[in-house]
Amino acid sequence: MNTATGTSTITSTSTMIHEKDLHTTTMRSAGQLIKRSLINTRRLPSAFIPTLAMPIFNMVSFSGTFFALTKLPGFPTDRSINWFMPLGLAMGSAFSGVGLGFSLIRDLENGFYDRLRMSPTSRISLIVGPVLATWIRVTLVAIFVFIVGGLLGARPTAGVLSYVCSLVAALGISTIGAGWGLGLAFRFQDMRGAAIMQLSIFLTMFMSTAQVPLNVMTGWLHAVARINPITNIFRLSRSGWVNESSTGYMSWSNAYGGLIAITVLSVLSLIFAVRSLQKIDK
Amino acid sequence: MTTNSIRQTLALGKRSTLELFRQPAIVLPSMIFPLFFSFLGNSSFGRTTSLPGFPKVSSYLQFQLAGTIVQGVLFGSVTGAAALATDIENGFFDRLLASPTSRTGILFGRLAGSVLFGAFSTAVFIFALLPFGADVSAGIRGIIAMIISGALISLAVGALMSSVALKTGSSEAVQGTFPLLFILLFFSSAFFPRETMSGIYKTIAGFNPISHLVEGIRALSLDGFTASATARAVLVPFAIAIVALFIANSQLNKRLRSN
Repeated sequence: MNTATGTSTITSTSTMIHEKDLHTTTMRSAGQLIKRSLINTRRLPSAFIPTLAMPIFNMVSFSGTFFALTKLPGFPTDRSINWFMPLGLAMGSAFSGVGLGFSLIRDLENGFYDRLRMSPTSRISLIVGPVLATWIRVTLVAIFVFIVGGLLGARPTAGVLSYVCSLVAALGISTIGAGWGLGLAFRFQDMRGAAIMQLSIFLTMFMSTAQVPLNVMTGWLHAVARINPITNIFRLSRSGWVNESSTGYMSWSNAYGGLIAITVLSVLSLIFAVRSLQKIDK
Repeated sequence: MTTNSIRQTLALGKRSTLELFRQPAIVLPSMIFPLFFSFLGNSSFGRTTSLPGFPKVSSYLQFQLAGTIVQGVLFGSVTGAAALATDIENGFFDRLLASPTSRTGILFGRLAGSVLFGAFSTAVFIFALLPFGADVSAGIRGIIAMIISGALISLAVGALMSSVALKTGSSEAVQGTFPLLFILLFFSSAFFPRETMSGIYKTIAGFNPISHLVEGIRALSLDGFTASATARAVLVPFAIAIVALFIANSQLNKRLRSN
């Protein structure tokens, strides 16, 4: 009995120590992977610059080319840059996220990932680390986009909350993109996955209110965009950039849909990434 | 050109054409994406056709048809030029040089594939969008002129991209020009008329050659089969093609000298 109790105590203590160690290892490994990712950004600016340039290009070209859209009755803002800046940011964030999948494919192909898997690294850290590094990069991209957008005439209509909502939406989209990109990279383990990553993100983004609001759309796109959860994320992102008189202006009813979409899609995509990683291990 | 040179050019042209059509995975995106953007644009911007400055059209798709053609042809031409760069990378180009093949035939044979693909994709875009409201006011003669224009644009862009391929010998460098074409396309009147733009954007779109290529074909689509519309659709890409061929030929000569 005593022996049994003793054994149980030892097992329980060892489990506690083990869990504590595991937690520390996960955070430490994730921290190292964040560091590696950020060092890579500094050492390989050519890989980061497109992520920075893409939202700017999107914002500038769309707001210039489609400037006349703001003259349509019911268009929620009279500044085209206010409408297209969140789109540029969202596109940049999505591609920052799926960009993780590209770097993972490179790591898988050159054998670096096998070395990580052979080391006693926590499996979760292989996902948490890169996702957190993406958040840091997306925040940098967002600051840059806000500055350039401001210089080009973008004006918030809800003060600091305008920036906060756009940033939350950008971080959410990057998490969804990261989970999806990592999952596909684990499944395909080669560049076939990259094509699917880009195409799927591109189509999902554009079949929403990316370009015009729902009340301006016609035909099939209206039906698709209405049920596309990305539409809710765009509503959140733009709520502080549309006119105060617009129905899309900053309010809880315009925000919660986006927050739910971000949470649900992020959880689903990260589960997909974890499951795909487990499949490799098997 | 002697009979032999013509025969060799035709053989190389056949090879480059078959190469394009045998790799649907490489070529199809250049056809699917422009069509997707057309339908997306039709639903997104359908209501903009009533805006001041927008030309009189039956639907946004009718306005967009020319932009779709140029977009598809541009992307297809990059694929053709990348194949020339791949020939240089994998040594096929050197083997051609070692044989008594016509030197200009190497370039023109490669461009023949792009030209045929340009004509083919133009026809596909027209007939795919026609049932959805992309009417061609110029009728069947206009459609023929549009296909010729598509082929000439393909020749012009293909020759420019081939210059990059011949100068760098790298398919990656050729693919690297893709974002540049993308930027040029978005800062042109491919998706929206210049009349609705303002300020610096309007000026850039005015200088952008892509705007003029698009507006030539658009004139046939909207204004009918007039002499000025046909001249714009055919002569503008023809003039650009002459300059581009000259540049590509000098790049070929430079590569031959360095070899």
